[in-house]
Amino acid sequence: MEFHIERAKVLPKANLHSFISGLKKWGKLIAPVRKGEKFVFTHVEKPEEVELNYTRTILPPKKFLVPYRRERFSYSVEDLSFKTNFKAENQVIFGIHSCDLHGISILDSIYLKENPDPRYLEVRKRTVLIGVSCVPDEFCFCLATATAFPEGASWDLFLTDIGADYFVSIGSPKGDEIVYSQRSLFRDIEKEDLNAYKATTLKKKSLFKPEQLPDLERISHVVELEYDSEVWQEEAKRCLGCGTCTNVCPTCFCYTSVDVPNIAGTEVKRIEFTTSCQYPYYSLVAGGHYFKATRADRFKHRYYHKLVGYPYQVEMLGCVGCGRCSAECPASISMVETIKRLRGCNEKELREVTE
Amino acid sequence: MKKSLEKLLNKPLPVDPYLPHKVVITDVEELAPDHKKFSFTFLNEELNAKWHHLPGQFVMLTVPKAGEIPISICSSPTRRGTVELTVRKVGRKTEVLHRMKPGDLAAIRGPYGNGFPVEIMEGHNLLIIAGGLGIAPLRSLIWFALDRRHRFKEIYILYGTRNYQMVLYKEELKRLRERSDVKCLFVLDRCETAEDREWADVEGVLTALIPQVELDPADTYVAVCGPPVAYRFIGKELLKNGYPESQIFVSLERKMECGIGKCGHCQIGYKFACVDGPIFPLWDTKNLPEMI
Ligand SMILES: Cc1cc2nc3c(=O)[nH]c(=O)nc-3n(C[C@H](O)[C@H](O)[C@H](O)COP(=O)(O)OP(=O)(O)OC[C@H]3O[C@@H](n4cnc5c(N)ncnc54)[C@H](O)[C@@H]3O)c2cc1C
Ligand code: SF4
Ligand code: SF4
Ligand code: FES
Repeated sequence: MEFHIERAKVLPKANLHSFISGLKKWGKLIAPVRKGEKFVFTHVEKPEEVELNYTRTILPPKKFLVPYRRERFSYSVEDLSFKTNFKAENQVIFGIHSCDLHGISILDSIYLKENPDPRYLEVRKRTVLIGVSCVPDEFCFCLATATAFPEGASWDLFLTDIGADYFVSIGSPKGDEIVYSQRSLFRDIEKEDLNAYKATTLKKKSLFKPEQLPDLERISHVVELEYDSEVWQEEAKRCLGCGTCTNVCPTCFCYTSVDVPNIAGTEVKRIEFTTSCQYPYYSLVAGGHYFKATRADRFKHRYYHKLVGYPYQVEMLGCVGCGRCSAECPASISMVETIKRLRGCNEKELREVTE
Repeated sequence: MKKSLEKLLNKPLPVDPYLPHKVVITDVEELAPDHKKFSFTFLNEELNAKWHHLPGQFVMLTVPKAGEIPISICSSPTRRGTVELTVRKVGRKTEVLHRMKPGDLAAIRGPYGNGFPVEIMEGHNLLIIAGGLGIAPLRSLIWFALDRRHRFKEIYILYGTRNYQMVLYKEELKRLRERSDVKCLFVLDRCETAEDREWADVEGVLTALIPQVELDPADTYVAVCGPPVAYRFIGKELLKNGYPESQIFVSLERKMECGIGKCGHCQIGYKFACVDGPIFPLWDTKNLPEMI
């Protein structure tokens, strides 16, 4: 949703906890909390639990829109009537970084553009999305994927840290309603707030080091041209095929479906669960034929789908630069590095050019 | 990213594309070892009357307790009232299906996929090339074309199987061979029995038949369906004989779980076989390296 300055307010940091507490009125509150060294999105009760100075959560907020394991239908074997036990709850996901908001927008396109999934739509309609600005670490490359800022994604409120206050952009009528319901916590914006807001944008941009950003110009074309490149084989040699990269990705959506009968065999549940294109059986068909037979085929496929497939399907790259796949990969395979190698330069060369 | 995302969220809840419709098995016919043809009718009369598909499309069939499987529709849209599916027993779900009898309930959603571009094919020669179970989706096209015979020029059917025993729709094909308005050429991998020899025009592989086809390639549309390994050889032979790759259509099999572009399993390069296919012009192989 487009950013309008008339729609912005200021939330003094002192009021943050009151604001978070007030959100519970709009649905189950989900927010980032600390878990050891890492962070997770989880259900929270108290505003003190929320940790807004986080880098990235292990799993993206996707899990609250499409759970990793979910029941589609159940049916009785006797009369084969399909029914759903599903009921969507109102929920507020608070503290989402810009890249993850864009990730959700990509999921919106996947699930709602063609053959819309009524289940997803229902959940999505009942979900309030509240973003918060962030500071990139060495794995982030959202500046290159054009997802470092919330503009263009679909969200209700976005909080930008401008020092003593949050600059609150309102992105939807729902967001407006939420602000209005707690209006005593907010104040109108002043010229200085606006300046501070603009300054944070520049500051964020300056925090990315050139070597951490891949060049994504005409990337679909590059991947097509480098289809037979040695780089795929070489990178795939290190890959364990564990599927972590797809599991942690905010835009990956592949799933497998199974029918699970109860013990008596009278009732059956149709269960969908997340899968990964990095697993061999992903492409196995009758006759024992694997269409993506080797590790390298599957490794390449992930990049191909993200950088060529999504643009074809939903006119957006399938990567929002969150850095999760690189941060979590047990083999330290980096999306950015692979892209750079494909483009024919390595990090060292790139650094020398920019220095 | 687009402002139009807002529109996606403001839609009313759509008809559930995941929801299958109840069908009853009206007939089961054993065609060959491990191959049966099932006829289904919807319990809902309205659906029975409304159901329409294109040759080459498929359905997602719920085999009770076992799960859902994608199966090509082998009946022609010109013959309404039942949906026919020919299924080979290969694993758990198809095994359960093979034990089912007339009167048993199942469920179907679909039809899915793009189907053959029949409107474009009309007015031209039609060359149909089937290997093994590949005849199933093509049977839909065969009867579609024969029931509207005047709309096509010459029609050729090339069909190859391992041996006579594995030939599907034997009686139907025998009758087709006697018709003068369609040319049938049948091939068997190996001719060992008297039946084999009586059936086969040629012993060998499908590709050997292609040069025998007397058609103007420029005025011909080709429809091919067979096991994954066959496409490369058949495609090559067709190109060698002058058929344009934009007029050769192949029906591809991929792993499928959803049929509607949501599960990702059926990806071929940047396309999804379930919604962009399963029928692709051979021309696409240039863009999609892992297609065949
Ligand atoms: C568009 C399309 C049309 C098809 N048409 C026909 C047809 O007309 N007749 C026919 O007999 N078969 C057809 N198939 C293949 C059929 O879907 C599989 O044989 C069936 O799903 C196997 O199920 P199973 O449980 O018996 O086998 P499993 O025990 O699950 O597996 C046996 C083999 O089948 C593969 N397989 C399993 N599920 C699928 C799936 N959902 N999609 C593709 N392969 C799968 C497995 O990877 C494995 O190699 C079609 C497949 C597609 C994609
Ligand atoms: S997380 Fe790393 S090792 Fe695991 S499949 Fe992905 S690239 Fe391979
Ligand atoms: S591909 Fe990696 S960096 Fe890109 S969105 Fe997915 S997890 Fe994040
Ligand atoms: S079958 Fe699920 S995406 Fe094609």
